[in-house]
Amino acid sequence: MSQTAIQNQRSTATDTEFDVELRKVYKVFNGETAVRGVDLGIRRGEFFSILGPSGCGKTTTLRLIAGFETPSTGEILIQGQRVSNVPSYRRPVNTVFQSYALFNHLTVWDNIAFGLRLKKRSKAEIQNRVDEVLKLVKMETFAKRFPVQLSGGQQQRIALARALVNRPAVVLLDEPLGALDLKLRKEMQVELSNLHQELGLTFVMVTHDQEEALSLSDRIAVMNHGKVEQIGSPSQIYECPQTPFVADFIGDTNLLHGKVEGAHPEMLWIVTDKGLRIKVKRAGDGHEPTSGSAVISIRPEKIHFSLTPPSDAVNCFEGRLQTVMYLGTHMHYLVELVSGDQITIMQPNVMHNPPSVETPIYVSWSPLDCLALSTN
Amino acid sequence: MAGQSPPLSKQPSLDTEKVLPKWLEPLFLLAPAGIWLGLLLVIPTLLIFELSLVPNIRPGQVVNPSGLDNYALIFDDIYQKVVLRSLSFAVSTTFFCLLLGFPVAYWIALIVSKRWQNLVLLGFVLPLWTSSLLRSYAWITILRPTGVVNSVITLLSSMTHLTLPPLDILNREPAVLIGMTYSLLPYMVLILYASLEKLDRRLLEAAADLGATPVQTFLKVTVPQTLPGIAAGSLLVFITCLGDFVNPELLGGASSMTVARLIYNQFLGATRNWGFGSALSMILILAVSIAIALLIKYGDAVPKK
Amino acid sequence: MSGCGWTLAEVRPVQAGKGKSDELSLYTWTNYVDPPLVEAFTTQTGIRVTYDIFNSNEIMLATFQAGKGSAYSILYPSDYKVEEMIELGFLSELDHTRIDGLSNILPQFQNSAYDPGNRHSIPISWGTTGLIYDADRLNPGPEDWSFLWENLDKLERRITLLDDVREVMGATLRSLGHSYNSTNPQQIKQAYERLVTLKPAVASFNTDAWKEQLLAGDLVLAMVYSADAVRLTKDNPDRNLKYVIPKSGTSLWSDTIVMPKTAPNPEAAYAWINYMLQPSVAAQITQRQYFATPNQAAYDQLPAPLRNNTSLFPPDEILANSERISPIDPKILALYERYWTLLTSS
Repeated sequence: MSQTAIQNQRSTATDTEFDVELRKVYKVFNGETAVRGVDLGIRRGEFFSILGPSGCGKTTTLRLIAGFETPSTGEILIQGQRVSNVPSYRRPVNTVFQSYALFNHLTVWDNIAFGLRLKKRSKAEIQNRVDEVLKLVKMETFAKRFPVQLSGGQQQRIALARALVNRPAVVLLDEPLGALDLKLRKEMQVELSNLHQELGLTFVMVTHDQEEALSLSDRIAVMNHGKVEQIGSPSQIYECPQTPFVADFIGDTNLLHGKVEGAHPEMLWIVTDKGLRIKVKRAGDGHEPTSGSAVISIRPEKIHFSLTPPSDAVNCFEGRLQTVMYLGTHMHYLVELVSGDQITIMQPNVMHNPPSVETPIYVSWSPLDCLALSTN
Repeated sequence: MAGQSPPLSKQPSLDTEKVLPKWLEPLFLLAPAGIWLGLLLVIPTLLIFELSLVPNIRPGQVVNPSGLDNYALIFDDIYQKVVLRSLSFAVSTTFFCLLLGFPVAYWIALIVSKRWQNLVLLGFVLPLWTSSLLRSYAWITILRPTGVVNSVITLLSSMTHLTLPPLDILNREPAVLIGMTYSLLPYMVLILYASLEKLDRRLLEAAADLGATPVQTFLKVTVPQTLPGIAAGSLLVFITCLGDFVNPELLGGASSMTVARLIYNQFLGATRNWGFGSALSMILILAVSIAIALLIKYGDAVPKK
Repeated sequence: MSGCGWTLAEVRPVQAGKGKSDELSLYTWTNYVDPPLVEAFTTQTGIRVTYDIFNSNEIMLATFQAGKGSAYSILYPSDYKVEEMIELGFLSELDHTRIDGLSNILPQFQNSAYDPGNRHSIPISWGTTGLIYDADRLNPGPEDWSFLWENLDKLERRITLLDDVREVMGATLRSLGHSYNSTNPQQIKQAYERLVTLKPAVASFNTDAWKEQLLAGDLVLAMVYSADAVRLTKDNPDRNLKYVIPKSGTSLWSDTIVMPKTAPNPEAAYAWINYMLQPSVAAQITQRQYFATPNQAAYDQLPAPLRNNTSLFPPDEILANSERISPIDPKILALYERYWTLLTSS
């Protein structure tokens, strides 16, 4: 996968500098493999997310970087130094824990000063840096409080401040916003993004929330079953998923299983199991199947429908409207094609009189808007 | 009682629970515990208090409270010495229990795998199933000049050709401390275990993450986080030591008078001065009550909302 | 709490004879229960025997006064406790017409100072307080109390004294030529001061725990009761243990059977008294438990070695020097207790 990661890089001068590197890292717990051969390179100053469903190994990966776990095999490098056997307290990283793990016997101020005091910084320096970071997270007035006297969002800021005040090479965030309600989470996402830009530190965030990952990250690694499925920018992950899992996990998609019927340098023809013949434009990234079984992914918002057959009849199929769901800004349609395949379609809420259920309709999509993926 | 409808109720109600006035219900629920405490704690304590106000009262005499003479007696030099010895036994034992108990409790709570935890804990608490008298006698056998410890020392001396001095501590204060510490260690371990078991391990990771070595993590996070447990365990050990007279009597030798033994002597010794014994008991009860009150008020170091 | 006054630990006379007629409840010393004799008693009389055990007169009296008194038909107090319990009015007067064999009791026990004429108590055993020592480790051995002070250098932390203020203070008073029961504050103070000088030799004050340590060799000498000493000597014939009654005199004690006024089953109590007075029964107790018997007929039945054992039956001149511990005024007793506390807390 690191091949892919390197291919997907933008070509800038600092690209070769990784703050964190994982090389073929495995982690086995009591016979169960949580992480299987992960290769990652996280660039200096980047906001990197590890995204995946629960149990996919993303938190273990983060804990391996933090030093709370040691890899069973493989290498971990932080700023070019091998750290596989370096204890967490000697690694230049700081973690923002999932439910903050604030020291409830210490005040906010003392929580934040904890790391600096251990490093034997001067009193004046500690005072300056704690005050500074409190201002940064807009919590100046709460310095004397104890963590239990703070709301969830306030605790979150203190947890961030406690990590940031140490100016680590890498800030690790484990589901940092997972415990907050939706509105607060949106606000904190903006603040997190601002903080990252202001400080220029490398952020590595673990999340299961794809929207959060897409909106905050420079790059995302999607993990499943202990493996990295794909690494790329948010748009690459969304627009060009390389595996059916990524296509399905990131956003909504229609997946149709079938076989490659014909390959052309520019185009692929695939016949689905239920007999639809679909034309796909080749992306040329080496991930499409050229023979054998294949999966076609079509995003719901890329599918058009009309009540009459469209004139350009590529990838156009007849069907019947099954359900119509009203989602405020969007409409969600479920269509059963004549072939028996079910297709979901997402359209902006612009139609004044949406068609009623059981209406015969025609769906179509451009060969540019669908992807052929190998099933391996 | 609640199942029958009230025959005298002016407004017959289907809801039979309304028969009891609201204020009466908690009283009913509190009654068993209240009666228990009243009969077995409050009344006996009041009786002891009344007795403590009668100078030189012996069984068979009329109880006529007349003043605080018994309490004044306590300030006699010889009793001061006894009180100080009791306190020093209690403080030292608490210290040693903490010193030995913390690593053990830490090991069981945080290092032993969950599967074995209960078994290890049980093994540690098992000695409590034997009588405390028996355990003290066992220490006599171990510590006496020709006992187990000294046999081992002699054996080591002959094997290594070193002259190791024999350990002559039976009938001295160290023997009392060993006996008391051994008796009370399981309680300390149990309480510390309960406290350490609840310790949020992510706090330990957070400390390590912020650069704390294991020792620093222990001192700056583990200890403060388990402070209520440490306080509760220490208090329990301390109080129990003040009341222990088996270990001082059996292991302490000729100069081991403690407050508990002094009280025992007042009730069951030659003089049978129950009044003075009661006064001593009241002082002990008072001291222990104050300690517990302080624990309840300040034991939980974390402020509430 | 009102100040009108109530009597502390009052034993209320319950109507006697409430108990089941075939049950006898005893409250006695540890070593006095001899299972074969108890079984034989049940076979003879059909009365079942249950018993509780105490290890000091004070605990016995406290338990009795604390309210358990009415459970027992027979108690085993020592001489000075009998006197105290008679004064407290706890003991019922014995009907001598219902007792057989009282005439076998030696005259000096029939007319004791604590209960003249055996009106309330029947003596069943007696003994002395003395010194047991290990002759292999301590040679020459003691002949009198003064040996302890004269050999302080040899005895450092190698002796134990009884855990009993009256015995220890009494012996010391005796070693100074005073009475075991001195009530003279000067003499008592003198005795205390003498005891302080003995402290380096004293490993501990205990009444029972000395046995194992003496056998193990941790101790060379212990102040003990004769019954315990004779028993330990008999049980360990391979050891050179010797019991000595100090020449200048010691304390004599006897244990008795009494029936409290609250006895639930006086019938059974009389049956027990008569049984214990049988010469063969009394002789068996001496043979098995090594208490000297005050029963002349029983003494005559004993085998010669036991009869001639001077530890059990000391010569008359020693007895003439010895005293019983007698009850003393509470004020003086408080003085004893005060010195005892000083002694054991310094």
